[in-house]
Amino acid sequence: MALILSGQCVPCDTDDPKAVFRGRVFVSDTGLVEAVVKEGNASPVGFQSAPQMDVGESYIVPGLIDLHNHIGYNALPLWAEPTRKTPYAHHDSWPGAPSYQSSISWPANTLVETEPEALLAYVQLRALVGGTTAIQGWPNANRKFVQVLRNIDDGPDATGSSSLVLTSTLTLQPLELAKRAQAQKNGSGFIYHCGEGTSGSLVEREFINAANAGCLRKNFIGIHCNAVRADEWKRWAKDQAGAVVWSPFSNYWLYGSTTDIKAAQDQGVLVCIGSDWGPSGTKNVQAELKVAKLASARLGLGLSDFDLFKMVTTNPGDALQRSWNNSTGRLVAGALADITVIRAKSKAASNNAVWTHLVRSTEADIALVVVGGIGRYGDATLMQKQNVPSAKFKLKGKNFRFSIPNPQNQQKAWELSEFTGLLNAVIANPKAAITKAEGRMRAYAGRMDAPEAPLVLALDMPTGGADLAINLKKHADKIVVPPLASLMHDKAFFDSIKGRGFHDKLLDGLKGFYA
Amino acid sequence: MSRIGKRLVIEASPMTWAERLETIECLQLFLAETYVHLTLKKSLYGFDILRALENLKQQSTLLNDIDFHREITTLMNRLRDAHTQYKGPWTKSGAIVSLPFLVEPYGPREKTEFVVSKIDPGSIKDKNFTDGVSITHWNGIPFVRALSMHADVETGGRFDSRRARAVESMTFRALEYAPPPNEEWVDVTYVDLARKQRTARFKWEDFDPGKAPYGSGNSVATRFARSINFGAEMVRRAKKRRFNHAKWMAEKRKLGKGGPRATSFEAFSDFITADIKMTTHGKFGYLRIWSFDVDDDEAFIEAVTQALKILPDRGLMIDIRNNPGGLIYAAERLLQLFTPNQVQPTKFALRSTPVIAEMARAQFNRDELGPWSSSLDSAQNTGEPFSSHLPITSVERCNDLGQRYGGPIVVVADANTYSSGDLFAAGVVDNAIGPLVCVGQATGAGGANVWTAENLVDALRPVRSMLPSLPIGVDFTMSVRRAVRAGASDGSLIEDVGVVGQAYDLTSTDVLNGNRDLIEHCASILAAQPLTKLLVNVRRQGVQVQTAGLDLLDVYVDGHPVAPSFRVIKDGKKMLKVKLRKGTILDVLGFSSGTLRQKRRLFI
Repeated sequence: MALILSGQCVPCDTDDPKAVFRGRVFVSDTGLVEAVVKEGNASPVGFQSAPQMDVGESYIVPGLIDLHNHIGYNALPLWAEPTRKTPYAHHDSWPGAPSYQSSISWPANTLVETEPEALLAYVQLRALVGGTTAIQGWPNANRKFVQVLRNIDDGPDATGSSSLVLTSTLTLQPLELAKRAQAQKNGSGFIYHCGEGTSGSLVEREFINAANAGCLRKNFIGIHCNAVRADEWKRWAKDQAGAVVWSPFSNYWLYGSTTDIKAAQDQGVLVCIGSDWGPSGTKNVQAELKVAKLASARLGLGLSDFDLFKMVTTNPGDALQRSWNNSTGRLVAGALADITVIRAKSKAASNNAVWTHLVRSTEADIALVVVGGIGRYGDATLMQKQNVPSAKFKLKGKNFRFSIPNPQNQQKAWELSEFTGLLNAVIANPKAAITKAEGRMRAYAGRMDAPEAPLVLALDMPTGGADLAINLKKHADKIVVPPLASLMHDKAFFDSIKGRGFHDKLLDGLKGFYA
Repeated sequence: MSRIGKRLVIEASPMTWAERLETIECLQLFLAETYVHLTLKKSLYGFDILRALENLKQQSTLLNDIDFHREITTLMNRLRDAHTQYKGPWTKSGAIVSLPFLVEPYGPREKTEFVVSKIDPGSIKDKNFTDGVSITHWNGIPFVRALSMHADVETGGRFDSRRARAVESMTFRALEYAPPPNEEWVDVTYVDLARKQRTARFKWEDFDPGKAPYGSGNSVATRFARSINFGAEMVRRAKKRRFNHAKWMAEKRKLGKGGPRATSFEAFSDFITADIKMTTHGKFGYLRIWSFDVDDDEAFIEAVTQALKILPDRGLMIDIRNNPGGLIYAAERLLQLFTPNQVQPTKFALRSTPVIAEMARAQFNRDELGPWSSSLDSAQNTGEPFSSHLPITSVERCNDLGQRYGGPIVVVADANTYSSGDLFAAGVVDNAIGPLVCVGQATGAGGANVWTAENLVDALRPVRSMLPSLPIGVDFTMSVRRAVRAGASDGSLIEDVGVVGQAYDLTSTDVLNGNRDLIEHCASILAAQPLTKLLVNVRRQGVQVQTAGLDLLDVYVDGHPVAPSFRVIKDGKKMLKVKLRKGTILDVLGFSSGTLRQKRRLFI
């Protein structure tokens, strides 16, 4: 569907990365950017009947990219093991915590097994509210489902290929890493959870193994790498520098320290940002930007707001483009039309003030989120200008709308009350929901990839114990699913940070951005 | 399949040569990478299926369609594995072809007689051809020889199991899984009841036996937990339709709209029947388990529990002859109903290949295959040919309900007891639940978890490798996880060996008069076993127990002992002072001379 957006354009073009100008973004029927035109310049042909959205002084920026998540867990609140007094050593340390299964594995698996479609709707809306257009870390599924955000694990829809990006949350054996490296040589990107832990801990070996396997290439995207010491970063040759995904909230929450960003940058590695998951992350990548700003200040990294903004737009976009062959993270002709509009009432005093405004913006400042040329979330007045079914949503008293199709009838928008109703029914009686879901599975006998098959999702994080499928039913009497974590950063979230985790009060500062 | 006049003509959908190549290459690939018995079959039978298929590939353009499919079926059957079967693109699916009578053997192995035990009168014009006539020749060939020739293309690891299947498939064949009959008609020479030799001609007839009410619908909830001879299950249904048509129709009618509850004994009447047998040794229960091919093990076990309530508690015969298997959970969880002791299930392993290791490692398969994953990974380093052997039905689920029948039991099996039937028999022997009486050398020896091609595709899709491209209509089933036994036979294979029991040769009275001698034999075994009883009821004052033959009781609430053991001075009723809260689990254990004899679990 063609679309024209007019306002303050922030295209992040490589020729003039800091350019901000009044103009229009033309989106073609194919979901790609046709052109970005300065005010007064001629329009491309064929857009006479396209709907126009004038966003005034608001900024039209590349859609925010969350390059590290586990979205299946994003209905859960922050988690901290009450008995734990010292930071964890690495990613294998916390899944064995006494409360891990009951607080994370059981409720997450209960939601995913009982109401997978509703869960996906809820967590996608949570990302949209924070201006996200593309996200990594989707659960594996047996069939297609309603997906409005771009799925980084599957690559851009335009390519039609599912082998361009390979992902792994779990640590891979050396031989498997070698196979991935071979696939990388043939053009696949590889997003890998790697060296997640305190600096120099045991899991640093994962990074070294990736190096030895030949994975450290331009199309390698390492998630976390916070166990990697400065010297070890040098294993990544500068002419093959890829990307690292920084999740400072989660790092500080679990390990009390974070990735050596300076060492990574010294090697030419692109730094991107990911919000990680509900139990130890922010609710969206917009908030994670602010945590990065706090971390930069504490560690003296000297990152400017422009540097930070690139970490959720051009840096991940450039890293992905190496395997996608589609430009993303920049608003340039031929790029994927993933666009976020950030509200502004007046023109910024300086160019620097633009980046500061963008970094400091919160959920209330998101005016529009466009994915593949289709408005998926935004101000009610803007959303109603396109011919896409949408549902009402209120945030801080303002009227928004979002467009997530109802899986039962994709011509209709799925109302918030409908899918939260389904999830709340699970929360009210997990045991009954588990029994009902089991009945659904018993009743179906066809192909699992058929559209009518029950949706089955496989979560990607450690279970904290074997035999999970059986445990879920066995422990049905004991399973407690917490109330749905809110969609935005609110008082309850900030209250839940204080005195928990191992961040030495660093994360308490996040609240200041939302005052 | 079509009819030309009254002739039944077996046909297959035409295939291009390219499609034939695809079929063979796909089978080669899956057999090489995922077939769990590949090395076993090669060393046991000296038969290399991969080379044989390669040879067929070279010849494949020289055959007509039906010969091509017949050839593959024959090659696959040389694996002697009823789980690993090729399904050709026959023009009619789900079809059974049969002759209108059933042949059954009796007597010792070296002097077996073959009699007609059942006929379908509507299809037989020869009035002398009745129940009880002895078959002597088949198309002019002595029947024993004809049977041996046919057994050569049948599945079954041992000679006797192959022959047992051949006896059945001489007159009943599930076309999806077995080679179609060579003959359009059969000339049967027999000795009638007046001892006169006669010959009659019979034509093969086709019909659809239909699915069993409450039977497996290939539910995705249980698709990876099946152990069954699919063809034998279809034949079982076909025999019922042919020789017990009134019951077959009645079930169909009753279980339609407004039928019984899905958990009731009546709902599962196609799978279990219960009866009381009067013998010279007394009155005993008789439970026939015809099949485990259900989707809902909870409901199935509940149905069996209901049946047990109406049977005498002095002893129970459980007859699983001709049981083709089904849901592993159903067979293995059922065992606990008959023993006070902890049940150990059979264990399963996958073959260690890179494809299997990758499949087990995939997040999407974590629930189904996750427990096998680490051993498959380490096997890649050590060269171990198999993964660890782990249960499919967890030990917890095998013991979550507890004993429901307190009397002694005896289980009767035969060489056609297959798959989950084998697992049930192994469970009875290995957990010392009761004696196993076996008609033939041992059970049918189907020791594997069977997957369909579709199941394999579902499991391989997440790893994006080896997705087969089978021509339309072509399908296969395959043994993917092999079973080994528990208890004293821990680690012993079931495949090709089966479970050995006390040998019993059927008599003509058994075959023609409702297993009368067999039941007497089992009754004598039951009568010789000690009898104890325990009834437990929760009353306001405490727990009321009624005992016989027990001298000590232990009571546990939620796994904790509530008091020192209660001594039982004499048989009869006794009130135990135990405080119970709602939601707790009460276990009462009854001992006799230090041996645990009874256990009851109550969910308060």
